[in-house]
Amino acid sequence: MSTVATETVTAPAVADRWYRVVWSSKKARVGIVVVAIYTLVALLAPVIAPYGPTDGSFTPLTGPSAQHLLGTNVAGVDVFSQVIYGSRVSLIVGLLGGLLATAIALVIGMVSGYAEGTFVDDVLTFLTNTALVIPVLPLIITLVAYSDTRGIPLIVGVIAFTSWAGAARSKRAQIITLRNRDFVTAAKFSGDGTFRIIFSEILPNMTSLVAAAFVGAATGAIGAEAGLAVLGLGSSDSVSWGTILYQADAAGAISQGLFVWVFVPGLVLAILITSMAFIIFGIDLLSNPHLRED
Amino acid sequence: MALLDVRDLSIRYEPKQRPAVDAVDQLSFSIDEGEFVGLIGESGSGKTTVGMAVLRLLQRPGRISGGSITFDGTDIAHLSQDELRKYRWREISTVFQSSMNALNPVTRVEAQFADVIQCHTQLRGGEVTERIRTLFDMVLIDPKFMTAFPHELSGGMRQRINLALALAIGPRFVVLDEPTTGLDVVVQHSILENVRRLQAELGFAVLFISHDLGTVLDLSDRTMVMYAGKLAEEQATRQLLRDPLHPYTKGLLGSYGDPRAETVRITYVPGRPPDLAHRPDGCAFAARCPERIDRCAEIEPARTEAGEGLVACHVAAIQRGADGSGIEVGPPIRTFAGPQFVKSAAASAEAARGLPLVTVDDVSKTYVRRQGLRAVRTEAVSGANFVLHRGGVTALVGQSGSGKSTLARMITGVDAPTAGRITFHGSDGDQVVARMRGRRLRSYRGSVQMVFQDPYSALNPTKTLGATLARPLINFQQLHGSKLRERVIELLETVALSPGERFVNRYPHELSGGQRQRVVIARALAVEPELIVADEPISSLDVSIRAEVLELFDKLVHERNVGILYITHDLLSARMLCDEVVVLNEGKVVEQGPALDVIRSPQDDCTRLLLDAIPNPFAAARS
Repeated sequence: MSTVATETVTAPAVADRWYRVVWSSKKARVGIVVVAIYTLVALLAPVIAPYGPTDGSFTPLTGPSAQHLLGTNVAGVDVFSQVIYGSRVSLIVGLLGGLLATAIALVIGMVSGYAEGTFVDDVLTFLTNTALVIPVLPLIITLVAYSDTRGIPLIVGVIAFTSWAGAARSKRAQIITLRNRDFVTAAKFSGDGTFRIIFSEILPNMTSLVAAAFVGAATGAIGAEAGLAVLGLGSSDSVSWGTILYQADAAGAISQGLFVWVFVPGLVLAILITSMAFIIFGIDLLSNPHLRED
Repeated sequence: MALLDVRDLSIRYEPKQRPAVDAVDQLSFSIDEGEFVGLIGESGSGKTTVGMAVLRLLQRPGRISGGSITFDGTDIAHLSQDELRKYRWREISTVFQSSMNALNPVTRVEAQFADVIQCHTQLRGGEVTERIRTLFDMVLIDPKFMTAFPHELSGGMRQRINLALALAIGPRFVVLDEPTTGLDVVVQHSILENVRRLQAELGFAVLFISHDLGTVLDLSDRTMVMYAGKLAEEQATRQLLRDPLHPYTKGLLGSYGDPRAETVRITYVPGRPPDLAHRPDGCAFAARCPERIDRCAEIEPARTEAGEGLVACHVAAIQRGADGSGIEVGPPIRTFAGPQFVKSAAASAEAARGLPLVTVDDVSKTYVRRQGLRAVRTEAVSGANFVLHRGGVTALVGQSGSGKSTLARMITGVDAPTAGRITFHGSDGDQVVARMRGRRLRSYRGSVQMVFQDPYSALNPTKTLGATLARPLINFQQLHGSKLRERVIELLETVALSPGERFVNRYPHELSGGQRQRVVIARALAVEPELIVADEPISSLDVSIRAEVLELFDKLVHERNVGILYITHDLLSARMLCDEVVVLNEGKVVEQGPALDVIRSPQDDCTRLLLDAIPNPFAAARS
């Protein structure tokens, strides 16, 4: 009997690097560039902003001028500087809120999907469904309104704990399609435990979906933070775009003809959220190669 | 004039991110009215692409980059989608590979037929129903299934219905793209019989695309062999069997043998097809070819007439006197002079009868399913009795639904038998195998491992081979650091992936199907098991590489004294590997005994049915 021929590996088919795939989408490119600019502005805020975000030493309620590009508010603070510093809050809340919400969704969704049909799944699904049907906005408002210190950690926490449920459901659905693959059974035969199988074997196969979910959650968190701040429930120790809008509304900016005061914070927020949605288009190409050819 | 005439057809895939690939390169062939032509090649050879191009169903990033496809005098390669409509289904129809997805799951079968018939003919109302009834009769399905939804039908029935649908308007040309892949051998056999009969009756021309040489040779008048986007050989089927020209064809033919013979030899083609983005100079097959001469690596062989066929091979051309260069190459040989795997009856009988490893004693398994208020009982296995031996290979053979997989689940401890008893005679004493959990199941898996059907899904695509193989070693043997690495490399070398260092950091997608299956086997070996359950380990591999996996199994049995339970519906591979055969039918063991005895003198109808279903092209050629 001849022995099994030994052989070497021939030309490895190099898989597309993920960053090239994402970058290949025009929309994603625009999104990434815009978010990068926002990040730079946030990091360099003290350099870019002409004045401090709480420096109330100017004439209140002036219109746009060379000294104050977007005018000043009731307290005599430069609105342009507020907008620049406001990007910090939005990005931090987006990043942390997105991370926390994704993490919760991952743990609950993945465990529940992997254990589909068992008691564990029943409990977790019940929890998820409960979180889904609770009216989120009143809950957030109540939680924030009743807390003593209204810092960024509180806002992040509240947003994350009220927004994970939808993502958890989709994770559960995704893992159900993956958990019957042979490599999962093979991992069981290799003696791996449940958590290792879920997070080390299955999770890497859905990274692109998780990444898209994270960007989605971050976008949601940025929007939620702005919404809270507009209602006057924002973080009390920092300025965000929502806070500016709240102040503008309280001062009746529109009726006084100070349009840029309202318009600019809203616009920067809209641009950031749109660009983040654009990035998701790029990430979609990772999970669905068919889209890459369009 | 030929019905379909393909000239210099080139098909190019131009993905945005990667280099363009010429999947099909200047292919020419023609099909006459009523002719049955087979197209074979391994996965990635471009055969399905050709089929899609002929149907004009190629999708981006693929496109026809050159040549013409002339159907009945019209060049359809350049018609617009609108102009194609009058050819589709009326003239050219198709049966797709996946019977599961080709029918719309939300409409009744009847409506799907009516759709096609009313769109292309003047028939309405009762006439349509009458026509559907005739079509159902044609493919031997009871017309009462007309009102069924696709999910209510079995895979075989669905594929027959697809066939009937393809023939609904009486097309002149049908493309069959792997129409029976994924179906049971017996079902496959009966569908192909059906195709052959209908083709003879109705006289349509067929392009039959398949990786399964046996079925192609069984059915077709003429066979084309495709390799790396080009036709390697084209001959009348009978002639091809008698006198194969291209070494690749010989390699493919070599993977078949007669299971009844005293000594069976099957060959395999080592290596893997070239990456078409970097097509090698000269002949694309040269690197894997045992007959190559210096010229093969430099000059690409042109298609020449040699013997009674067309071949693109220097050696064959010289041997048949179609090339006047006068290079000495020796006389033509009929077989593939590559590695081969031999199993003789003597070796099988010699296999020392080891001690029992697993005793299956009167085991039954009944599944109870609640349907409303009634409990529906399905008896998956009833009263099975057999013994697996240490250092022996036992095949569990049967059609799908015969209870093979249920028995495997019970033996691997995933399910418990409803009645009877499975005993595992392990090195640390006897153990009753029932539904196990947690620690017990884990320790049992230190002795019983599994090899899966599809090596493409059995390896985690995101992990390197090293990482995959390390898991069982860490879990069961607490190996770490350099010891772990050494053992991983040793495992890779055991399954002939050497030098192991070069494979440790590879990802599964860089390997061929055969190489992947070897990694799967290496992982099963990591815990040094006493029993390996192999569930159809070669059925999803290309025929040309099946033998290499069989050979590896054979080596393991002899060198490591493991017992193997080999689950299959293919009696040829069972004969190549196994000492004993257990035939299952509808949950009952209908026959068991030494492999050769069972195959030579089958006692049960079910065994005969399975034997008849093995495509045996040589038998046809001999008669």
